[in-house]
Amino acid sequence: MFHTILIIVFMSCLLISNVVGIRFVIDREECLSITVDYEGDTVYVSFVVIKAESPWHFTEDGVDLVIKGPSGDRVFDMHDKTSQKHDFIAHKKGLYHFCFTNKSPYHETIDFDVHVGHFAYHDQHAKDEHFKPLFDLIAKLEEALYNIQFEQHWLQAENDRQAVVNEKMGKRAVHKALIESAALIGASVLQVYLLQRLFERKLGLSRV
Amino acid sequence: MARVLLPVILIIMAATGECVWFNLPRSGTKCVSEEIHNNVVVVGDYVVVSDDHLHPTPTISSQVTSPYGNILHHMDTVTHGQFVFTSTESGQYLSCFWADRPGEGGALSVNIDWKTGIAAKEWESVARKEKIEGVELELRKLEGAVEAIHDNLLYLKRREAEMRGVSETTNSRVAWYSIYSLGICILASCAQLWYLTRFFQKKKLI
Repeated sequence: MFHTILIIVFMSCLLISNVVGIRFVIDREECLSITVDYEGDTVYVSFVVIKAESPWHFTEDGVDLVIKGPSGDRVFDMHDKTSQKHDFIAHKKGLYHFCFTNKSPYHETIDFDVHVGHFAYHDQHAKDEHFKPLFDLIAKLEEALYNIQFEQHWLQAENDRQAVVNEKMGKRAVHKALIESAALIGASVLQVYLLQRLFERKLGLSRV
Repeated sequence: MARVLLPVILIIMAATGECVWFNLPRSGTKCVSEEIHNNVVVVGDYVVVSDDHLHPTPTISSQVTSPYGNILHHMDTVTHGQFVFTSTESGQYLSCFWADRPGEGGALSVNIDWKTGIAAKEWESVARKEKIEGVELELRKLEGAVEAIHDNLLYLKRREAEMRGVSETTNSRVAWYSIYSLGICILASCAQLWYLTRFFQKKKLI
């Protein structure tokens, strides 16, 4: 009886994972925080810039990301990236800060995903040798599945970014064609008018 | 005392949920969105913590909107709240927060815990209803996760096919519109030639 309860309790806290995926609009700077409950957890973080709200953006839009640990120490940083995946091992438990900085003057939509993976090492709990390898394998399987979900979220965000780029390209092709035709017609009318004026003046001078 | 209490409270509250903290400025709205498919259960929890430990805790208002503009949840002057809904439209769901009394000083930290689909499922009630426990429950959870991954992949496949369609339309548009532009250029030059010939003939130069 007690054995069963112990196993149930053990199984229910086998793997504690945090998976978060949100999208937000960044103006200048935005900071998000995540708690890491256990030392030695691997933290996977990914972000994708979905779109930059500028009518014609000529430059590659990118954001900076600075990751700070619980005591304010800088864990990692990257500059001017539109899409990035990174993982690190959290040596201290506590509140980790992810700060984004937007260098371009326009608002940008960022899709941010963070996943804290934790293996529960319960050597002191399961006394029965039959169960321990099974628990470890299930824990590994769960971790792998959460990782797959994390990758999928990033892939989806990348696809969304590409979809926005493609739609903009389609609209741009149509606009370019219209403006080009209008410019050509305008240039030819201007040419005819100028030539007409030139010859009329010349003829007027020479004939009189 | 308060400085020690706040991190403790943060850790305790965070240990009971998977969540993200962000800062809410005193004026202005902060919105968090997520792309959700049709027919997905969404559970959201939010809590306000003030950095200045003011008493009473400052309150915020929140609103959750569907992609087509329907308001799914709206609460005013609360310090914590929860919303649950099943998505009926596929698209971007927006949850916005704003502080109630702007200009009262001090930044607010809002903790939002957003669970969609498989993560929102209540495994305790499933375990109780079907009387499964232990290894079977864990494997049931994994089966749910695998199904969610499979559905996600199918959705990605569909999106990719749509995008391919848009790319190919753009490709053919660029080709055809370039030919049209060239045609207009040639027509304009022919019209010019004809008009100027007529003009010079009238002026008896040719």
